[in-house]
Amino acid sequence: MKFIKWLTLSLLVVLIAGVAVSQQKNQKRKGRAALSVPKVAKKDLICFALYTVHDNTLKLTAQLYPLAAGDSRTVGLEIKKEKEWVEVARATVIERGWTAPFRVEQWNDSQSYEYRVVHEAGSTYTGTIRKNPVDKDEIVMAAFTGNSIHPAHGGDISREDIIANVKRIDADVLFFAGDQVYDHFKHYAGWLKFGRDFGEIIKDRPTLCLPDDHDAGQPNLWGESGKVSTLGGASDGGYSRPGDYVKEVERAQTSHFPDPVDPHKIGQGIGVWFTNLNWGNVDFAILEDRKFKTGPAGRVPKQGPRPDHIRNPDYDPASVDVDGAVLLGERQLKFLDQWSQDWEKTDMKVALSATIFCGGAHIHGGANGRLHADMDSNGWPQSGRDRALSALRKGFAFHCAGDQHLATIFHHGLRSHRDAIWSFCVPSIANLYLRWWEPLKPGANREPGSPIYTGDHLDGFDNKVTNYAAANPEKKPAGNILNTRSAGFGVVRMNTKKREITMECWPRNVDISDPGARQYQGWPRTISQFDNYDPPSWGKLGKLTFDVENPVVQLIDEASGEILYTVRVNGKTFSPGAPKGRAFTVKAGRDQASAVILEKAEAGGSARDIRVK
Amino acid sequence: MKPLQADSLLVLLLRVGAFLCLAGWTWVHFYWEGPYGVLLWKDSSYALAERLGIDWEDFVGTGADDGLVQRWIGLTGWFYLAVTVLTVTVRQKSYIQMVGLLGGGLLLGVLAYAKFIGAQRQLPMLVEHGGQILAPVLLVLALRLGVRHSVTIIAAMIAMVTTFVGHGCYAMGLWPMPATFPAITTLILGVEHETAAAMLWWAGILDFLVCAGIFFKVSRRSCALYAAIWGLLTAVARPVAGMSFSLNYWGADQFVHEAVLRAPHFVIPLYLFLVWRRSDQIETVSVDSDIGTGPDAPQKVGPRKMTGSPI
Repeated sequence: MKFIKWLTLSLLVVLIAGVAVSQQKNQKRKGRAALSVPKVAKKDLICFALYTVHDNTLKLTAQLYPLAAGDSRTVGLEIKKEKEWVEVARATVIERGWTAPFRVEQWNDSQSYEYRVVHEAGSTYTGTIRKNPVDKDEIVMAAFTGNSIHPAHGGDISREDIIANVKRIDADVLFFAGDQVYDHFKHYAGWLKFGRDFGEIIKDRPTLCLPDDHDAGQPNLWGESGKVSTLGGASDGGYSRPGDYVKEVERAQTSHFPDPVDPHKIGQGIGVWFTNLNWGNVDFAILEDRKFKTGPAGRVPKQGPRPDHIRNPDYDPASVDVDGAVLLGERQLKFLDQWSQDWEKTDMKVALSATIFCGGAHIHGGANGRLHADMDSNGWPQSGRDRALSALRKGFAFHCAGDQHLATIFHHGLRSHRDAIWSFCVPSIANLYLRWWEPLKPGANREPGSPIYTGDHLDGFDNKVTNYAAANPEKKPAGNILNTRSAGFGVVRMNTKKREITMECWPRNVDISDPGARQYQGWPRTISQFDNYDPPSWGKLGKLTFDVENPVVQLIDEASGEILYTVRVNGKTFSPGAPKGRAFTVKAGRDQASAVILEKAEAGGSARDIRVK
Repeated sequence: MKPLQADSLLVLLLRVGAFLCLAGWTWVHFYWEGPYGVLLWKDSSYALAERLGIDWEDFVGTGADDGLVQRWIGLTGWFYLAVTVLTVTVRQKSYIQMVGLLGGGLLLGVLAYAKFIGAQRQLPMLVEHGGQILAPVLLVLALRLGVRHSVTIIAAMIAMVTTFVGHGCYAMGLWPMPATFPAITTLILGVEHETAAAMLWWAGILDFLVCAGIFFKVSRRSCALYAAIWGLLTAVARPVAGMSFSLNYWGADQFVHEAVLRAPHFVIPLYLFLVWRRSDQIETVSVDSDIGTGPDAPQKVGPRKMTGSPI
C-alpha cells in the first residue's frame, strides 16, 4: 500500500510539474503577450511623462522604472529658458508605482517650453510643454480606447502608424478613454509598456487617460463609491482589486490632471479625479462614469445569463431603473451643473468619459451573442443616464468616449429623439472583444442612402438614440486582426471659430494625410456645437443682436426657475432656441451671463438689439 | 456504529457531495449560463463545425435567432440536471446510471477546461476543479468497488489534493491570486488587504501541507479534518461576504450556489477523515484483539468483512 501511496504522490507531482512547465512554454505561444518590467540602464530610468496645463498650473507626472535601493528618490523638472535649463520643480518618487508628480503654479501658458525630467543617476527625459492653443481656429483631439497588447487579435502590431498619424495632424490633446492596460494584475508593467508605445506623442501635448475597468484590474467596473466587490465579474459593485492597487493605477494615469473639483475620497481611501481641462478655449469635462455607479447584481430583476446582461427582449425596461441606482452621482452632477454655466475663456464644451450614455451595441462577443441590453453601458440606470444628459446638454457639450470596442456616432434623446447631445465612441487600438450595432428593426427617420441600422431607435433600456454610424467588424473570421475587427482611432476637430465639431474614425495602418485614405463607413461627420441641444420641437426666441462679440447667454425657465442652457454665442447675433409655449428670462454678459436682458421671452418673439457692455 | 451502517453513511456523504456539486452547477446552467462561450466562440471551433458541414449562420445564428452554439449551451443544463438526479437514484447495481454519473464527471471536466481557458490558461484553475470533477466518479467507485476500497480512497485523495493544491497555488501567489480571495477575507474578518493576503499565504502553505499530510498515517486524519473545515469555510465565505438584506432575495441567487457547488471541497476530506477514522480504529482494535477476549470480538468487524481494503 505504501507503494501505491508514493506512486500516487509521485504521479501527482509529475503531472502538476509537467503541466506547469508546459504552461511556461505556452507563454510564448501566439495569443497572449508576456508582460514584464524590463531592466533598464541608469540613463533610461524615466520611461515617459504626461502633463496638463490648466488655469496657469502645470501638472506633470514622470513615470519611472524601478529605482535601486541606493538611487535617489528625488527627480527634478527643468525647462529651457533662453537656452539654459532652469529647474522649476522637484518631486519625490512614490515607490508604489514609481511615479514622480510635479506641480508648477503660475505657469505661463502663452508660450511653449522644452522640458526635461532629470534623475541624478544620469537619466533625463525631454519633451515640450505646448503653449495654450487659444489662437488656433481648430483644436484637434486624437482619441483612443482599448489598448490590447495580445497577439491573437493584432495587439502586438506596432503602434507606429498611430504615432505617425498623430504627428501628421499635430494633435493638440490626446484622449485615452480607458483600458490602456488590460492585465488585471500587472498594471505597472502594462503602464510602462503603454508609455514605451505612446510616450513619443504623449510627451509633447496634454494627455488625458481615464482608467477604466481593465486598468483597475477587473472585467467590468461599477465602483459604488469604493465598495469591495466579491462576485466574479464584479457586478455586485465595487472594486475587485485592493484599494492600494486602484490608487496606484489612478496615480499613474491621472495624477497629472487638473486638480479634482471635489477631492473627497471614496471607500478604501480611493481618490477622485473628475475635473475639467480648459485647453485652446475648449472646456473638457473629465468624468468618472464608473466610480460611483451602482452594481446591478441583486439590485435589478434577473433578465439574462449574467446579472448585468439582459437577454429577454420582452422585459419591462422600467423594472431595472430601480430607486437608488446611481450613474454619475450627486457630486459629479453638481460639478456638471456648475461647469455647464461657466464659459470663461471657453468657446466649446466637450465631455470625456469611459463609455457612452446608451446601450451602443446589440451583439457582444465572438460573433452572435445578441443581448438586449448591457448594464455595463451608461444606458443604465436610465434615470441616471437622463440626469447626466440633461446636465451635459445645458452646456451644449459634445461627448467623446470609448470602451465599447465599436465606434459609433449617436445623437441622444431624452423626451424625444435628438433632443440631447451627440456622442462619438472611438474604436479600439486593438480589439479584444467584438461588438456589433445591429438592430433587428430598421431605424426611423434615416438619412437618405444610409444603412438600415442608422436612424431613430430605442436601445435595450428604452433610451432614445439616433445612430449615424457604426464601424461594425466583419462577421466571419477574416484574418481576425486589427481592421477586420474594426480597430482604429478617432480624431475630433473642434473648430472654435465656426463652432463645428468634426468626427473622424480611422482604421489602423493608413496614412490619414493621404487623400486616398478611407475612414470607416459613416465618417467623417460634422455637426454644429449648437446641435448638442436643439430639439426638433423647439422654436426660436427671436434674433438677438449684441454689441459685443461672442457674449455668454443663458436662458432660465420662468415657471420652474431652472436654467435651460448657457452658451457662448458665436459672433454678435444669436437666435436662442427654446421650447414653445414657455416663458424665459434671458441673461447675458461678456464672460458670464450676469445681466438680465430679456424677461418673459417666448418662442416666436421679435428680433432685438442687446447691450451688454 | 456498525460497519455496514458506517459504510452507508460514507456513501451517503459522497452522494450528498456529488449531488450538491452537480445541483449547484445545474443552477448555474439554468439560472445563469455555463462558461462555454470561451470554447465555442473561436475560429477553431467554427473551423471544426465547417468541416462537419455546418455553415456560419447555423453555427452562430442569424442574429435574430440562435445558432448551434447557443442551443448547445442551453441544452447542457439538462444534462447537468439529469446527472444530478442520478446522484440520488443510483444504487450498487445501477450500471447505466453509473455510466451517466461518469459522464457527469466528464461534463465537469469540460466545464473546468472552459474555466481554465477563460482564466487565461492558469493551471490552478484547472487543477482546483479536480475535487468537483471526481465527486460523481467517487460516488460510482464507492458503490461499485466499495466505500473503503483502495481505489475509492486513492481517488478521493487525488480529488482532495487537486482542490487544495489549486487553491494553494493561488493563495501563495504562485499564480495571480483571484481578487475575490482577499476581498472576501477583508470583508468577513474586517482586516486590511495586506493582512488578508498574508493570512491567505499561510493558508496556501497549509493547503500544501495537508495535501502532503494525508499520505502519512500519523497525520492523515488531522489533515483531512482540517481540509474539511477549511473547505467548508472557503465555500460558505462567498455567500457570507456577498449576501445582504438590501439585495433582492438577500443576494441568495447570486451567491448561494457558489457555496453549494463547492461541496466536494469539504465533503471529500470529511469522507477521508471518517473512512480513516474507522479503519484506523479497526486496525487498532484488530491489534488489540490479539490479546483481548471481550464480548465485542473485533474479528466481527475485521477488515476482511469490509467491502474493500482500506489503505
